[in-house]
Amino acid sequence: MADALVLDNVRKSYGSREAVHGISLTVKEGEIFGLLGHNGAGKTTTLRMISTLLRITSGSISVYGYDVSSEPEKVREVISYLPEDAGAYKDLTGRAYLDFISKFYTSGEAQREMVGRGIEIADLGDRIDSKVDTYSKGMMRRLLIARAIMPSPKLAIMDEVTSGLDVLNAYEIREIIRNIAANGVTVIISSHNMFEVEMLCDRVGMIDQGNLILLGTPDELKEKFGAANLEEVFVKAVRKS
Amino acid sequence: MSHLTNIVRKELKELLTPGTVASIMVMMVLFMALGGLIGGEVEKAKVLPPVAIVDSDNGKVTLSGGETWDLDTALRAVYAGSIPPGRSVDDYVYEVQSVKTPDGKIDYADLTGRLSSLGLSSALIVPERFSTLIATENQASLEQFYIYEAEGLFDSSPSVVVSSLISSLNGMLSRTLLTEEAGITNYWFYTNPIRADGIGTMINGNYVSDISPAELASQVTSQTMMVPLVIMIIIMMVGSIVISSMGSEKENKTLETLLTLPIRRTVIVTGKIIAAAVVGLVYGLAYMIGMSFYMNAMTSEIASGISLEDVGLGLELQDYLLLMLSIFLSIVCALGICMIMGAFAKNYKSAQTMTMPLSILAMIPAFVIMFSGWYGTSSAIQGVLFAIPFSHPMIAMQALMYNDYSIVLYGIAYMAVFSAIMILITVRLYNSDILITGLGQSKAAQRFSRKR
Repeated sequence: MADALVLDNVRKSYGSREAVHGISLTVKEGEIFGLLGHNGAGKTTTLRMISTLLRITSGSISVYGYDVSSEPEKVREVISYLPEDAGAYKDLTGRAYLDFISKFYTSGEAQREMVGRGIEIADLGDRIDSKVDTYSKGMMRRLLIARAIMPSPKLAIMDEVTSGLDVLNAYEIREIIRNIAANGVTVIISSHNMFEVEMLCDRVGMIDQGNLILLGTPDELKEKFGAANLEEVFVKAVRKS
Repeated sequence: MSHLTNIVRKELKELLTPGTVASIMVMMVLFMALGGLIGGEVEKAKVLPPVAIVDSDNGKVTLSGGETWDLDTALRAVYAGSIPPGRSVDDYVYEVQSVKTPDGKIDYADLTGRLSSLGLSSALIVPERFSTLIATENQASLEQFYIYEAEGLFDSSPSVVVSSLISSLNGMLSRTLLTEEAGITNYWFYTNPIRADGIGTMINGNYVSDISPAELASQVTSQTMMVPLVIMIIIMMVGSIVISSMGSEKENKTLETLLTLPIRRTVIVTGKIIAAAVVGLVYGLAYMIGMSFYMNAMTSEIASGISLEDVGLGLELQDYLLLMLSIFLSIVCALGICMIMGAFAKNYKSAQTMTMPLSILAMIPAFVIMFSGWYGTSSAIQGVLFAIPFSHPMIAMQALMYNDYSIVLYGIAYMAVFSAIMILITVRLYNSDILITGLGQSKAAQRFSRKR
């Protein structure tokens, strides 16, 4: 499998404070990669740098061969980013929101097909024609995942994708992510839900205080630390580091 | 559909919701209704109010020719020439008897009751010996009495109108006395040996007759006062809309999504500015229509009825185009400032507080130009006004009337440069981390916090 995403010694500083200390990792095409870490560890900053939202202080990020710093517009053509706790334009209906987003990717019949695909993924029934400010958190998340997936990105970047959702909604969203990965989309998610990452991800990177402290498959990491689950791995790794 | 059109359409949907459109319509109707209300009050104020005569004299001035003159008849003659057709003088002039206090003065409480029962609020009190004094060539006095009723904008007008009655009565009586008693046939000459005639004013190099600078200034003010007000309101409204929209986008993280879509940042910035400018123009148009009704009602009936076109101060088509360009550029400047300020807003609530500096910047030129005018201020204040981009359409309205194109064109050039700089800064901000992280994470903010 080809490399979908390559981070090479990536650093991010805000003034004198360094938030990310030289992270290097590679994500293969079609992989579901999980970034683990507690709040403030540097997960969101890393995802924002990959998504072209934040500038890299040093190092490099390459997405499907495009350099994030020098070719951000090319990168945006192949990625889809879903921020944590994101919302949509409250005065638009779900359908109008998907229609608005789809017009940045394509036009004509292809655009209508893309909206149809989004509506299918969102699976909101006739509520797709309701204004989004009437949606529950679960409905909003489904709409936003549909928005992120309908353009068929090569790399889907999802920050705390199931955060705050009930069990059923979280389960359904994980199913959607598995399906898109099965169709060849590379997915990188961040989470502090170890259980979710263990179930969903092919490989995992653990970040602590801006450092990548572990990298591997869930099974490799559990074996390495003699742990029953990723939560135990994380605790042991953090104590060790 | 181009990306720009897509952004503009979305922004317009967000900004022109049924709620905002309704508020624009309500505001427009409100101004129109206010205009109608004030127009009615102005009309009312122009009509001679009914008046009561409290006559303690009841005498007549007997002239040497045997004819008599009395106040009641003279007053009725004044009213006869001023009341609407079909109305009787008896509806306007009432005779009222009043009780006197033991010391011989009018009992005002009693008089108030009597006037109120007739629906009157003005009275002329004729003292005893009024006719005797005049007949013996001594100045007599008339007392005015009013009941103050805080009912409308022009409450004071009855007193102004009734006071003018005394001037009319004086004129009539002096003419009668001079012609009948002194035998002066050329009354008009003796009362006005010098006639003010041939008023002429040089306006923009053109000599215009029969107009005084005071009359002209009143008309110019009535025509130009609306522009600063409307510009101020547009800037404040549009500024609030854009900054709040930015705050809302940040709070909902829709901005983060937008910035990761395959569109250029300049398209996002331009789309937001175009949509907000369109909304600003819609607001402006609605305010212009509403306020023109309001201002016309306030001024048209009171002003002297001079046509500014006739005296060379009217605006031509190219003047209106320059004014519109000036208004548009001032809105773009405001939007540029707002986009920059909005970039620093953390959320909707913090965005709301950021509109204050913009409002102050819009209010300063509006009030200075409304009260002093561009040409009436000192050079230092003119410098300050010139630096504030929102001043220019306010200045332009006056300057175009006086064919002072240089200040208008300099203003347009300044605003074009200013808005270009604002848009460039905005695009830079959209390409920087500040839009995502806010000011707290920037190098400048960190340096500042370390110093503290």
